[in-house]
Amino acid sequence: MIAYLIKRLVQCIPLLLLVSLLSFGLIKLVPGDPAVVMGGTNATAAEIEVIRKNLGLDRPFHVQILSFYGNLARGDLGRSLMLGQPVRDAIIERLPATIAVALYSMALTLLVGLSIGVLAALRHNTWVDQTAMTVALIGVSLPNFWLGLVLILLFSVHLGWFPTGGYVEPTTSFLGWLRSATLPAVSLAMLQIGLLARITRSAMLEVLRQDYVRTARAKGLSEFAVIGKHAMANVAIPVVTVVGLIFSVLLSGSIIVETVFSVPGMGALLGNAILRRDYPMIQGGLLFVATALMLLNILVDLAYAWFDPRVRVGGAR
Amino acid sequence: MLTKRISQQGLALASATVLLAAIAGQAQAQAFRCPRTGGDLIFALESKVPGLDQHTSNAGATRNVALNIYESLVTRDENMSPVLELAESMTVSPDGKNYTFKLRQGIQFHNGKTMTSADVIASFERYKRVGVDRSILDPVDKWTTPDANTFVITLKEARPLFIEALSSFTVPIVIVPAENAQAAAQQLPVVGTGPFRLEEFRADSFVKLRRFDGYKPDTRHNQMTGYGGNKRACVDTVTFRMMTEAAARTAALEVGEIHAVEDVPAASQKRLRDNKAIKLERLETFWMNVVYPNFSAPPTDNLKVRQAMLAAMDFDEIMEAAHEGQYKLNPGFQFPGQQYFTDAGKELLNQKNRAKARQLLQEGGYKGEKIELLTNRDFPVMYNTALVMAEQLKAAGMNAELVVLDWPAALQRSQKETTGWNVFFTGWITVIALGGPQTLRQMAEPNPVYKPKDNKVDPGYMAAFNDINTAPTLAGRQAAFARAQRIALEQVMAIPFGVAPKTQAVRSNVEGYKAYYTPRLSNVWLTN
Repeated sequence: MIAYLIKRLVQCIPLLLLVSLLSFGLIKLVPGDPAVVMGGTNATAAEIEVIRKNLGLDRPFHVQILSFYGNLARGDLGRSLMLGQPVRDAIIERLPATIAVALYSMALTLLVGLSIGVLAALRHNTWVDQTAMTVALIGVSLPNFWLGLVLILLFSVHLGWFPTGGYVEPTTSFLGWLRSATLPAVSLAMLQIGLLARITRSAMLEVLRQDYVRTARAKGLSEFAVIGKHAMANVAIPVVTVVGLIFSVLLSGSIIVETVFSVPGMGALLGNAILRRDYPMIQGGLLFVATALMLLNILVDLAYAWFDPRVRVGGAR
Repeated sequence: MLTKRISQQGLALASATVLLAAIAGQAQAQAFRCPRTGGDLIFALESKVPGLDQHTSNAGATRNVALNIYESLVTRDENMSPVLELAESMTVSPDGKNYTFKLRQGIQFHNGKTMTSADVIASFERYKRVGVDRSILDPVDKWTTPDANTFVITLKEARPLFIEALSSFTVPIVIVPAENAQAAAQQLPVVGTGPFRLEEFRADSFVKLRRFDGYKPDTRHNQMTGYGGNKRACVDTVTFRMMTEAAARTAALEVGEIHAVEDVPAASQKRLRDNKAIKLERLETFWMNVVYPNFSAPPTDNLKVRQAMLAAMDFDEIMEAAHEGQYKLNPGFQFPGQQYFTDAGKELLNQKNRAKARQLLQEGGYKGEKIELLTNRDFPVMYNTALVMAEQLKAAGMNAELVVLDWPAALQRSQKETTGWNVFFTGWITVIALGGPQTLRQMAEPNPVYKPKDNKVDPGYMAAFNDINTAPTLAGRQAAFARAQRIALEQVMAIPFGVAPKTQAVRSNVEGYKAYYTPRLSNVWLTN
């Protein structure tokens, strides 16, 4: 297991190098640069040239990329051109909000998505199934920026239950955090709930047709034991794959939801960096997201082994 | 003393006049005192603040916050005339080349240090090194500090408009402590002399300012005027929250989570107007909707084609669509009431004459070549302007086509390339507010926005532009401006469609707030 883990981690290194190289090269190919953005609507070409020089963007491409890798080797992701702070600090500053909202959203997704999926499968071809799948379909279809605004209108403006935006850190006030994170988490979760419910339903339906489930029932096991113990263990494999994917999406943040609710998270950080052509921030942010995705993938692979002894690493040989 | 000294200088007559007006106008008013102090005023910004290094950023979002923190030797008053701020007095030598600034005494920086001429010279040197608008200082030969209280600027030659340029607030030459002046671009420690000091800056989220207790108000004035005058921080703290989503921003104002918003979309204004807990504040002349053709790319390299475009357009239709009905047509590049306002050439605007357009196209030998309208969706105003303009040009027989990029890409193409675009869509704010000479600079050498061949601008225009910068009298400069504006419209260097207001809103418990080019939070208090 340890050897497998080390092997997977080592495999990540060239991939990360490739990601950094591609992100560095591609972003330079995109027209428009940070100096233009900083200049605003009124800047003259001469003023923009001054900004460009101030930012070091007038240096040749090879000098810039060598400087990038030199800094990277020292663990330095560079300094954000727009935020005026080290990229690493910017990521560290925003990561907690993204992780906290992602976990909250994930919890909602698992709770509601799994329940709906299982319920729909158990009540296959009944009105319960049809209703659950309709809800799931609506969930995957609603644009989250629209949903976010509707939630604000309903729960903030009319009912006054939650704030319209902003983010309170859980360390400052847990209740405050819960209030500030609920609407963003729900907005994010709606899409994922729909996705997870459909996958769970489909996996559960397949499992319920298996011989071992029939055997378990024939042995007189309670329905709870049949579903909760025997069926769910086999549903877990496809569900874990989807959960891993969902979490990786949530972890990279959602620019739309974070913008609507003014949550200072990774999605808004990266989205703004792209819009503002903040090269170091884009490169550092992408590198971070790529690393997180690779680590999550490894975790998901390890989870397969946990749920299914047949795929336990080395065990099948 | 200030006005007496300046009035003795022939070349600085205009500046002296405006400075005199700025002070005399307040003589009868009562000195401002905060009726109530305390509280945290929460102000929602529509854009993210890209740092607070005011020397190196000309983003409006930086100014929104930074102009409450920093101050300059000279700034602009309510009518956009130069007014002394950190300078106690300014004298100009008879030859118009030496400007001597005596500094106000007892001015403290937010770090507790007292400001001296060493800080002023260090700030100017930093600006010369990294300042975005450093061309302001091009006419300067040298600067000296004869003593701790005096700063002298010597010009290479007399420039009657030097103080107008020096007082520009687009990228103002704010005074920072000498020990910070070596900071690289974008890394300036946020220490100024203004009524508010920085408490916390959480990038992309919020900026919190706190009242600076060591602030020395400028008691030469009774009231705040423009960015200068008698400023006092009435609230304990100001929190600028960055809320880029307009609907969420407006909702937050309605439920009272914030006290004020930088911008209210037209669609929400009616609802807010009916809300007794909210007051709308409007700056009538804010954004000039402007496009400029590309003189280097066919077919807009052809004067007749450009004139045909101008003849064909219905400005009302364009402004209606772009600004949702909130606009005024404007007969030139300055607003009525501004010092350089003129309607010279107004007959060339809003002609709505398709027959004339077709005639001009025929005379110009137009063969249906594509006219690329380079716009973006980041600013819906620009996109909608392009959309309507394209239809109007098509209706007059022109082959107009939209080229939609994002803002950075579109702006870069318009600045760096002479092909791939024929008309560029933008908006001028400070360019117009700062006055005639600043406006004309956009169309003059060395960086004319419309890309004339070999970068050579019409000689008549350049002559008028030079006259504006050298004519000793205001009347002479105004006449030169009118000449330049007429030529600009005849040559179709830029097309000013009209002006749109800026509508802001505050909760009813916010008093003293007045919409301006950037949010001024001095002399604003909370009633509860």
